This record gives sequence, structure tokens and C-alpha cells, in this order.
Amino acid sequence: MTRTLANFVTISALALSVTLGAGAAQAKDFLLGSELPLTGSLARVGQGMHEGISVAIEMANRSYAGKHSFKVQTIDDETSPAKGVAAVEKLAGDGVVAITGGYGSNIIGPASEAAQKAGLVYITSGGVSPELTQRGYPTFFRINNTDGYALAMIGLLQEMGAKKVSIVYLNKDATSSLAKQVNSALTAKGVTVGMHEFDGSTSDFKPLMNKVKLQDRPDAIAMVGYENDYVGILRAAKVLKPQVKAVVGVWSLATAQMAKEFPDLMENVYGTSMLPYPVEFTQPEAVEFAATYKKLFNKDPDYLGQFGYVQTRLLIDAVVRADEAGTLAKGGLPDELRKTDANTLIGRVTFDKNGDNLNFTHRMGQHQGGKVVLVWPQDAANGKMNFPAVPW
Amino acid sequence: MFELTLQALFSGLLAGGYYATVAVGLALVFGTMRVINLAHGELVLLAAYVAYAAETSYGVNPVMAIPVALVIVGSASAIVYALLSRIRQDREINSLILTFGLGIILTNAILSIWKADIHSTSDPWFQDSMVVADTLFAMNAEVASFVGGLVLMAGVWWWLNHSWQGRAVRALSSNRAAATLMGVNPRKIEILSFLIAALLATFAGFAIYTGKTVFPALGHVLTVKAFIITVLAGMGSIPGVLIGAVMIGVIESLTVTYLSASLQELAGMILFLVVLFVSPSGLFGGGRALAR
Repeated sequence: MTRTLANFVTISALALSVTLGAGAAQAKDFLLGSELPLTGSLARVGQGMHEGISVAIEMANRSYAGKHSFKVQTIDDETSPAKGVAAVEKLAGDGVVAITGGYGSNIIGPASEAAQKAGLVYITSGGVSPELTQRGYPTFFRINNTDGYALAMIGLLQEMGAKKVSIVYLNKDATSSLAKQVNSALTAKGVTVGMHEFDGSTSDFKPLMNKVKLQDRPDAIAMVGYENDYVGILRAAKVLKPQVKAVVGVWSLATAQMAKEFPDLMENVYGTSMLPYPVEFTQPEAVEFAATYKKLFNKDPDYLGQFGYVQTRLLIDAVVRADEAGTLAKGGLPDELRKTDANTLIGRVTFDKNGDNLNFTHRMGQHQGGKVVLVWPQDAANGKMNFPAVPW
Repeated sequence: MFELTLQALFSGLLAGGYYATVAVGLALVFGTMRVINLAHGELVLLAAYVAYAAETSYGVNPVMAIPVALVIVGSASAIVYALLSRIRQDREINSLILTFGLGIILTNAILSIWKADIHSTSDPWFQDSMVVADTLFAMNAEVASFVGGLVLMAGVWWWLNHSWQGRAVRALSSNRAAATLMGVNPRKIEILSFLIAALLATFAGFAIYTGKTVFPALGHVLTVKAFIITVLAGMGSIPGVLIGAVMIGVIESLTVTYLSASLQELAGMILFLVVLFVSPSGLFGGGRALAR
């Protein structure tokens, strides 16, 4: 009797261990790679995207708990194209399944080329230059692009009825492309446009703004640059007080950070923004995203975190689908990503054959009394624009 | 057109004053020790971040933060000197490597403590405009920094020419061995130079925090600009720094006005190369030029 019981326990234990073993073999750990500027001149935006990636990993580990787990290995590219390439090569050597990250079209270009050579998917929201997708790399994907930003800026300027616009833009790939696209579209619609290019080393914008004031005499000033450029331009404008009706910018402008840090400069200024501030989330995924972001970083999410989250979450879901289909190890991830059709925090995302998300259209927000109010397009607006109105 | 030119010259003058304030500390240390302190820009940045921390954490006006910043930047500068003084061989080359490394450490320390966001003073007085004759426009911060910088540089120049320590600095700069034989203690004079450079860096940091924006990667940019001006001036020349900086500021400003803002850095570099081509030792160079 004792012997029979012992045999039964042994057989049961063996059966249980085989069952558990089989289960464990199905659950997989996936290592993603991330190459980002965590130091150098793009550290601010790189760290913002990194926060979004971390939130995506945290949320994916919750939603795939017991089935799969995800980790991310991050390498700082120090805002250097050469180091971006080295980072991608290191990540490829360490066996990551794909790469999420990248900021700055001039860094993403060579870094994603290195990923293409290594056969790795590279997904980003940090480079909007058209040249990136025109290369036709099958492993390159991005969720935003110049067109989406240009549409928003042009749409707002048209809604204002601006007849003369001065575009003040940084001479980098992405910023130049966007400025030229806005210029072409506005010129085609009969708007008189003055183009003013500046270098990243420019810290005193008064001579430039004086040209805008005395020569262009525009209805609106459009800025395409980054945070410290916007602050320099707005300070110069505040000193010289050109007779304009609006000041419009793009990324990194209609943010909580800018509202808190430069309240006197930001009032009435417009910038691209997917969300109002204070943030109002309604979708369940968005609510979970905001709660996770707050838990991890003790602050409200910003647009960088949002984009970093979306690109990484789409990648993770595609990795799982490819793994379940048995194509992940056979280079099936790009095809699986190309099948993506998802409603995300930044709107609908699908990818064309070049990896571009042609659905991408941004929204425009305006700083109003320490808040960011969405004012364009009408169907996304949660307030009315103050127009004409400037910070001075 | 006349208005544009006048504003360009005025903006260039103010920008030159700001550049000179950043560069003069580098020139002073080079004049005394023949060392290019590649961490100088980061010391300027450290002062700016101390002003930021004082303003945001304690509500202190950035002007009131200058003494605290001076103590912190002075201590950091003394550490840089202590490490530099341990170099026994090939000091000019090894000091470049050492100070470059210290600059990276300082940048990353600033990044770790204060993160990568951009900052500037929230005191509106500094950003308010000052208008001269309805034609010339500037922020209060720019004019205050320009005047303060001039006073500080004049003070350093007077100190170099009329005080015993100042003359000792010049003697050391001119002939180290002879100065030592005449009773000058080189270590004391060198550390004094570093502390004066720290004072200048502190003021420059305050000027940047109130008139521009600060972010961790800025230190390297400041060092490069300061180095260019120091070489343009003639290595170690204090008045040369002011004139060279104003020349750079004005040429950049005129380039923005009449050509393109994206060419301003190039215009400054062309001026730099032309001056070095005509006068290889800089505007006021030629041997040991301190205080000339």
C-alpha cells in the first residue's frame, strides 16, 4: 500500500513537472534594445522618450504576465550619430529582438542603417525627416512624420486667416524639412512667407527678430526648433514687440514643462500637442498609461513619454504576434509590424511599405493661463483659441 | 536699414560683453599657468545651476545666490587646480586631457542632479525690455550683465597692474623661474588665479542664467567659445579678450542681420582665421600678454 502510494506520488510529481516545464518553455523573455540621447544636447527629449519606453515595458509585463516578459537594454548615444551606430551594433551583438528609440533625424539615419544591416527592426518617433522613410528600409518604422506636424501648423495658420507669416527655423534636417513644407503649402495658398534660418548656436535672436519686425511685418510668427530656441525667439520678440497676431511653434512647446518653467513667455503661444494640460484621459489604456507614468516618474506624462510608449507598445505586440506565428526567429517581425492597425494614444497607426505612419496628424494646443488648451482641429478642441493674442 | 544696423551693433556689443565675461577666466588661467582649462565652461554652468537651485528651492533672487555660487565654484576650481598641479610631465598636453575629463564629469553631475530640462530665471525684471532712444532694444539682464562684466574685468585688469599679487601673476606669466627667484610663490599665485577665474565664472554663470537658458550640454559650447576668443585675443590678454569678444559679437550680429542667422558661427570663425592669418599670436598676443 505504502509502495503504491509512493509510486503514485512520484508519477504525479513527474507529470506535474513535465506540465510546468512545458508551460515554462512557452513563456518567453524578450529583450528589446533602446538607443537614445540620454546626455548631450538632446538629453531632455531622449530622457522623455526613455520614460515612455519604460512605461510600455511595465504595462506589457502586466498585460502579458504569466505568458511573456519584456526587458529593455538602453544605450546612451550621447547625441552623436557615430555613437548611435555603435550603440545599435552593441545591442545587435547582445541579441535584442528589435530596437525602439532614437532622437534626431541626423542620428536616427545612420543608427537605423546599422539596424537594417543587422536585420533588426528600428522603430522611432524621434525623427520626422522625410529622407528617413524615402530610403525604403524594410526594417525601419516610425509613428510620426513631418507631414503630420506641417498639417497641424498650416491648418491653424489658415484658420487664423494669416496673410503674412515669418517662419523662423533651425537649420537641422527635420526642422528645415518641416519649415520648407509649411512654406510651400502656405505660398501655394497665397500667403506671403518670409523664411529665416538660424543655427543651433544662436542664443541672441534680437537681430533676427528685428528683421521680422521691420522688414517682414507678418501677421504670425511660426517657429520650428527646440525648447531653448523657442525661449530665445520669444524673449527677443518680447523685447522688440513685433505687431503680430499669433506666435505658433511645433514640438516641445505646448508642454506642461514649458508652462511651468516659462509662464511669462508662453501665454497665448501655440504648439503641437496631442493632449491638453492638465491631462484628460478617457480611454482605459490611456488612463492606465497615465497612472503607470505617475507611479514610475511621479509626474504627469508629456508628449515625449506618450510617443515613446506608443512606438514601444506597438513593437511589443508585434513581437508577441510574430512569436506566436513562429516567424520571429525567421525575420518575420517587420511583416508583422506592417500588419499593425491600432488606435493608440496618438491616433490610428498603420505603416506603409516604407514604415511611415500616413495617418499621423498632430493637434495644436495653446498656452492659456498655465494650461494647454487644444484648439485645432475642431473635433479635438477642448477650448477656444485666444486670437489675436501674444505673450507680450 | 539704419535701424537694423544700429540694433545689430548694439546686440553685438552686448553679446560681446557676455562672451568676454565667459572667456576672461580662461584667459587668466592660461596667462598664469599656460594651461587651457577645458572645464571652464562647466564651471560657468555650475554657477548658473546654483543660481537656479537657489531661486527655485529657496525663492532667492539670482543676484543673492552669487556668494553661494562663488563658494561652490571656487571649491570646484580649487579641486581642478589641485589635480592639475599633480601633473609632472607634459603639463600643457596632459592638462588638456585632465580638464576635458573633468568637464565631462561636471556635465554629468549636473545632468544627474538637475536633469536635462532647460532653465532660466523666473524673475520678470531680468527679461523686461530696456529701450534706448526708441531704436535700441535689450533685456535688462543683458545690460546689467554687460555693465557688471565690464566692471569686473576692469577690476581684474586694475588688480593685475596695480596690486602686488597681480604683478606676481604677471611676473609668473612672463618668466616663472625668474619670478620664483624674486620671491613669488608660484603655487599661491596659481591658486589665486584659479580663484579669480572662479569669481569670473560665477558672474558669467549668473549672466547666462538671467539672460539666456541653461542646460547640461551648454558647458562644452561655452568652453569652445571662450577658447576661440582667448586665442583671437592673444593667449592671456585680458583687454584683448574684451575687444576680441566684441568683434565676434558684432560680426555675428551683422551676419544675422544682412546674411543669415545660420551663417553667424561661420562668420565668427572666418574672422578668427583672418586675424590669426594676419597676426598669428592674436590681437594682443606676442609672448606673455597678461593684462596688456
